[in-house]
Order: sequence, then structure tokens, then C-alpha cells
Amino acid sequence: MKKVTLLLVLGCIFSLFITSCKKDEPETPIIPNEEELITSLNFTLTPTGGGTAIVLSFLDLDGDGGDEPTITEGTLAANTTYNGSLDLLNELENPAESITEEIQEEDEEHQFFFQSTVAGLSIAYADMDSNGNPVGLSTTVTTTSANSGTITVVLRHEPDKAASGVSAGDITNAGGETDIEVTFNVEVQ
Amino acid sequence: MLRFSRNFSVCILLLIFSEITSAQNCELSISGIVKDLDTDSPIAYASVYIKESQSGELTDSLGLFKFESICEGEVHLVLSHIGCETQELFLEVSRDTIITLYLDHNSRLLDEVAVISLDGKTSTQESQGLNSASIAENSNKSLANMLEGISGVSTIKNGNGIAKPVVHGLYGNRLSILNNGIAQSGQQWGADHSPEIDPLVANKITVIKGVGALEFQGSALGSVVLVEPQSIDEDPHLHGEGRYFFESNGLGNGINLELQQYGKAIAWRAVGTLKKSGDNRSSKYFLRNTGHQEANIALQLEKSWSKKFLTELYFSSFNAEFGVLRGSHIGNLSDLEEALGRDVPFFTEDKFSFEISSPYQRVNHHLLKFHSKYTINEKNFIDFTYAGQYNLRKEFDIRRGGKSEVPALSLKQTSNFIEGKYTSFLPKNWNLKSGVQLNRVDNTNLPETGILPLIPDYISYQYGFFSILSKRIQQTRIEFGGRYDVETRNVAAISATVPRTVIRYQNDYYNYNAMAGISQNIFNDWKVVFNLGYASRNPGVNELYSNGLHQGVSGIEEGDPRLKPEISIKGTLSLKGNISHKLFFECLVYSQNIDNYIFLNPQNEIRLTIRGAFPVFQYEQTNARISGFDFSASYEASDRLSLTGKFSYLEGHDLTNDLYLVYMPSNNLNTALNYEIPEFLNLQNVVFQVNNRIVFQQKNLLPSQDFLAPPKTYYLFGIKVSTEKQLRKNRLKVFLSAENLLNETYRDYLNRQRYFADDLGFNLIAGMNFSF
Repeated sequence: MKKVTLLLVLGCIFSLFITSCKKDEPETPIIPNEEELITSLNFTLTPTGGGTAIVLSFLDLDGDGGDEPTITEGTLAANTTYNGSLDLLNELENPAESITEEIQEEDEEHQFFFQSTVAGLSIAYADMDSNGNPVGLSTTVTTTSANSGTITVVLRHEPDKAASGVSAGDITNAGGETDIEVTFNVEVQ
Repeated sequence: MLRFSRNFSVCILLLIFSEITSAQNCELSISGIVKDLDTDSPIAYASVYIKESQSGELTDSLGLFKFESICEGEVHLVLSHIGCETQELFLEVSRDTIITLYLDHNSRLLDEVAVISLDGKTSTQESQGLNSASIAENSNKSLANMLEGISGVSTIKNGNGIAKPVVHGLYGNRLSILNNGIAQSGQQWGADHSPEIDPLVANKITVIKGVGALEFQGSALGSVVLVEPQSIDEDPHLHGEGRYFFESNGLGNGINLELQQYGKAIAWRAVGTLKKSGDNRSSKYFLRNTGHQEANIALQLEKSWSKKFLTELYFSSFNAEFGVLRGSHIGNLSDLEEALGRDVPFFTEDKFSFEISSPYQRVNHHLLKFHSKYTINEKNFIDFTYAGQYNLRKEFDIRRGGKSEVPALSLKQTSNFIEGKYTSFLPKNWNLKSGVQLNRVDNTNLPETGILPLIPDYISYQYGFFSILSKRIQQTRIEFGGRYDVETRNVAAISATVPRTVIRYQNDYYNYNAMAGISQNIFNDWKVVFNLGYASRNPGVNELYSNGLHQGVSGIEEGDPRLKPEISIKGTLSLKGNISHKLFFECLVYSQNIDNYIFLNPQNEIRLTIRGAFPVFQYEQTNARISGFDFSASYEASDRLSLTGKFSYLEGHDLTNDLYLVYMPSNNLNTALNYEIPEFLNLQNVVFQVNNRIVFQQKNLLPSQDFLAPPKTYYLFGIKVSTEKQLRKNRLKVFLSAENLLNETYRDYLNRQRYFADDLGFNLIAGMNFSF
């Protein structure tokens, strides 16, 4: 008798299981608030002597996967000095969130590095963190003769700013994680 | 009246007693013989001790022992032998008593742990494993690292603390790990997610290398790891065991305490473990942030309602934090390339630290199991089991904006499992085991991360039915069985494109599994075993739906919702025997064909993101073959001197694309020389061991299949000394061992940390076990 009861109970549970499972859906997941994402980088170059600013930009509005990024490149004038200013945004947020502010607040933990293959073009740091080390949100970009090449902008999180050459802008011994690495084709005319 | 413990360690399998003449109070005698289980020949130098009279003896050359002047009443008899966990037997003596004890003598050298079938004989399933003595001597290690010495078993690691077992080249979703009979339910898909099990709770860990452990629910394509806690000894007194270890590498400390009592009302056993270690050290530098800490507890209750009805309750809780090498945290492919070129990883510091900071993993796993067994009659049994599991995994990364304290991955999984099983001894030596199993798994991403989840939320239902028949005909044993599973999985994923939307999928799978095995005894004590198994595994959610950057490997991984289940056929053939009881050997040859084998295939595409360029990997399917052999042998040169060797060879091929399979274990050879002294001064079972492990370079890989060529062959030497001492009613065992004695600099192919840093340097381990 006990055996029959047990089998019946098991049978009931089994059939309940089979019928209910098709409908048992996970709840609608909460879409996370991707505060940390950097979708846009704008590198604005304003001639110190006045004139129209040039904006190099890299926009990847859906993050790492998904669609291809949109890259805007530019042409610089020869023998000119520009004030370079980097602006980072998370445009997935509405209104767009400024990542630049976040980096300013944590400037000791961040540093931009600039690598140029354009002959005669130099980029110098124009800002400092509270320890007197460069950050790179503000720079001075100087062009000489007409040439072309690329400028690569790298943002490192938790670099070793004290390591040899790092505060002079050499990335070799910096370490840390790369948060940004974008390359622009640049022409100097 | 006589009673004895039901649960002997693997070494001590059987106890037979008989009673002769009656006698006066303190003039009783206990005598007996210790024999080899396999050959029935007597075993000399086994130690027998009676706590009440505080007298001990070694068995003589005929395996005999005798105690006189034993008082009527309770007797605790301690039996120990080199390589076996010391076993305590509880007797109530009222007459002169003769005992026959069987030791599974040769097994310990070859890691033999038999899978016992219904009829008490070994099953045709190929298995090896660890007994409680080996578990105790390796108490500083994680589950996977403990199993590494067994032939055919490797580990895939991220550092030292995070390690998963690999059996015959399969791991993660392809290998089932059963904790107390329940399939471990967690985030098994991740190569850097170690099994959330405390091996010190176990009395026996078995690796079934055969083809079809059909009675276990799970997605195994053949092999299974069983972690089995000891059941409670039938001794009415409170007993226990305390263990402590220290290891020099990482300044690790661990304590483990076990208490048990077979009370009249209820039997109970409780085990607790605490472990903490700091930064490990390679041969030359500290591996920053590689510390780890654990706090685990397990509680077992057992109640016999009647002679026919038994109920067991088991609860275990595993709580751990694992640091991940700071220098292995990278942002993009350029970072990886930079790290590959370095001698010493970034962020390496000169000083040791216990601190665990980001990146690290925090894991909690709780299991509650309820089991009842009802004996219908001597030949028919019914088992009912319920198991609930709760798994919480949080992984912390280095993040901006003070978010390092917010997990980058936060997954909660709950699972509920019920099983009804029927066991029957049928006429003509046939045995039947049959069962129904239902399992519901609910996997949810906690939205606290602020990052798109790596794998989607899902609820999955599996219902399965299995039947296994076995029969013994004199020297032959046959086994065959089948299993049918239905799985329905409802998935809710978040799109990778903006605006983010929720996409729902439903997966339905219908799987068949089957196995057949035959074992035949030849030349008296040699054995040939052949097994053939057909199994399938459903694609995991990570393989179907992952979409995005996998930070750890700097690649964009794309799932494919159209993946089909993997279908495997595996055959194993083994020969086990000995020559003159001096040379023992076991050889296992296997070959496994997996159709629709799912793997990450690098694409001819570099994807540009704001974080730089990343290679793209896609989950694809191919037809694969994994074949190899495991060979173990031991030679007993004399009573005291023995030599063991274990060799594993494996090859993995992608048959469709004519390539090698990636992440296949390297071939390896473990050898050890043991010198054992049964009694020395006041000490017993003194063992000296010198060992060597050679891991050969993985040559079966093309340069295009990895960022870095597989590391070179490496050799590790070690030594080990252990001894035991009986202290009145208690027993003390101490051991001292040194690993990587020569402080070799090496890297291992299956350790992801190899891209960034060297593997572990010299390590000295000291430990003790105290039983009372």
C-alpha cells in the first residue's frame, strides 16, 4: 500500500513538473545601468592663435559588442600650436554622463598617453594631478612641417606614474589597464 | 552482543567475527588475523591497538594478533597500516572474540578507489581516487589540486587557488562533479570557476573515468568526480578528529575539526574548516594578490525510524574568497602583448601580504540534502532524495569611480532536485537500479554590477529517467543501462545593441544516453574491463548567448543560438594485474569521439572598440576525438621499499578542420620512491617518500592557436615524511612535505596565469591529525 502511495505521489510531482515548466519563464531582467561605459571620446584641438577648433572623435554608442564605431578624423595646419582637450562621455545615459569629471576626481589613478607617427608633431602634457604628475586631459599639440600619420590616445587606469619615463609620457613601464585606446589618421597641411 | 562500525575506509573493507567459549570478566581475549582483500594472504606489520587496555601489537608474519586479559564491556580497537586511514572499531565484548580484518593492500599505491555495486562487488566502471588518508595528507590543497596526482586527471587553473579538475581532457560543463550524490550546481561553464566544495568534508573522492555514470543527473560526457562524505560510525561515544596544517608558500594556515556521535536518538557528525593564505611566491617573486580564504561547515544527521526506514539530512556551506594575480588584470590586447613580454609581472611587490583586493572572486555555496531509504524487503529498496542548492558568485574587478567594491559579475543560482530510486536484487544474480529525477535551475544576474551580464538569466527544467542492469556470472561481470533526459530552458537575454531590449529564447532538448560494460577476471587476480558509452551534452548558455568582451582573455566572444547538443561515444579498455604480488600495474586505453564538439574558434576579424582592437572568437562546432592512455604501476622491492609510477598520455584532434584541440592537458609522469618502517622507537608507520613530477611540453598545438607557445617541459621534486603515534586513547599523525624542492621556475600550459607570471616556487607543508 505504501509503495502505491509513494509511486502516486512521485507520479503527481512528475506530471506537475512537466506541465508547469514550459510556462516558468525568468522574470524580465533589469537592464543594468552601465555607468562605467565610455562611449565617446572627443579630442578638441583649438589653435592658440585663434581660429576654428578641430575635433577628432571616436563614438561607439553601444559599447564593446554590437555595431561598428564612428570615427571622425581631421586635418591640422602646419607650424601651429593647439590647446588639446579631451572629453569623454557615456552617451548611453540620458543625459550623457561626463567621464571626464570622473577622471578629474581620480586623476592620480589615471594617465593619458599619446603616440604620434606624424613627423614633427609633438604632444606635451598641460595638466597635473595633486602629486604633480601629468594626467593628459589638457595638452599642447605642436605641428611643424606638412606630414601625415596617426595619433593614438591611450588611457591607463592605475598606471605606475613613478616608473621610469612614465611622467614624460612614455607608456613602456606604465602598467595598469587600458580603458581607452583609439587611433586617428591625421594630416598636417 | 557485538557491534562494529559500518563504514570502513577504502583500505579496510570487511570485518568478520565469531565468538567462542565464554569466560570470566577480565580474562577475555581478542584475537584475529589481518588479510589482503585481493589475495587472501596475511598482512604483517599492521598495527592493532586497544584503547581500554592501552595495549598495542603489530601483526606477525602470519598476519595474526592476540590480546589477553580484556575486560567485558566496551572496546575501542584501532587498526592502522601504512597508507590507510587509521580506523577505529567499536565492539561490545562479552566473550572471547576472533576477528578477521581485510585490508585492500595494493590499492593505495595506485590510487585505486573501487566503485562498489549493489552486490558489494566492484562495478565495471573504471575509477581511481583518494582515500581519507590521502585527503588528510593533502589538506592544504583544493579539490582539483588534490586529484592532480591521479593518472588521467589534470587541472585547469587561474593561479593556484582557482583550479578545476580535468579528466581525460574534459572539464567544466563536460565533467559532472557530485557532492554527496548531488550534481554540483553553479557556474561550471567558467574555466576560472573552481568547484565550490570543501574536500576535507569528504572521506573519499572518486574519479570515474569510464563512460557512463548514468545514475547521476548532470551533463557528463563520460567522466564523473564523486565527493563522498563519510557516514557516521556506529559508535555511541563522542569521537572526533582535529587537523591543522601550515604551508610556507603563502603562509597558509588551516584547521579542520570533525565531531561525531551515534546517539541513541539520533546520529550526528559535524565538520568545519577554516583556511587562510596570502600571496603565493614563484621561484623569484611574490605573486601579488593571490591569497585565498575559506570558511566551510557541514552537518550530517541520521535517524533510523525502524529497521526498514532510515532518514539522513546533510547540510554543507562553502564560503571562499580567491584573489587573482594583480598583474594578470588587463584592459586590451596591447596590454596582453605587453604583459607577455615581461619577466616580472606588473604590480609585483617586494613584500608579502595577506590582503585580497580587486580582482578577486567571492563565492558562497550551500547544499541541503534530505534522503530517506525504505527497505521493502531484503531484495527491494526505495530511495527518495531532495536537494536544494544556492550558489552566489561575485567577481570584483578594478573599476573606475570607486566601483571596485561593486562586483563586475554577480550571479545567483538556485536549484531544486528530487529523485526517486528503486533498487532490486533479481533472480539469477541480476541487479536492477532505476530512478526518476527532476531538477529546476534558476540562474539570475543581480543588476548591481552596472555592466551588461556575460551570460543571460534562465530557468531550466530537466527530467530524467534511468535504468541500469548488472549481472555476475562466475569470473565475468556485465553491466548495461540507459538514460533519457528532457530539458527545457527559458532564457531572457539583454541585447548587445542599443536601445537595450530583452530577448527571450526557449531551448528544448531530448537526450539519450547508454552504456555497456564487461569485466573478466583472468589468471586468478588479473582483470580486463571494457566499457562503451553513448552520451550527449546540451550547449550551455554561455556557448549559446554570450556576446561581448571576455576581459580575462582579451577577446570578444560570440555565442551561437543555433548550436546543437554534443554527441559522444567513448570506449575504454583496461587491464589490471600483478606479477608475483611484487609488481602491480593498471593500464587504461580510451578513445572518445565527440560530434558537434563546441569550441571557441578565433575568427579572421579584429574588432575595433574604444578600448582598442580585440580578436573575435566564435563558439562553433566540429567533430573531435580525444584519445590516450593512463598507466600506473608499483613495484614492491621489499616489505619496506616500493616504487610507483603513473603516466598519462592524451591527444585531442579537431577532425573536421584537421587541427589540434586547444586546452588539452599535457602528458605527465609522476614517480615516487617510498621507504616504510612499521615501527621505529615509539612511532608507527614511518614513511619517507621522494617524488618527482614531469609535465611535458604540449606539442600538439599550432602557433596560431594561442597567444603564446605552450611552456617547456618541467620537473618538480618533492619529499614527504609522515608518522603516527598512539597516545593512550588518542592518536596523533604528523607529516612534513616539501614541494618544488629545487625552487624550479616553470609555467604550466593549463594555468591561465602563465601568460603573466611563473608558477609556484618552493613550498614546505607541515601538518598534524589528532583523533580522539
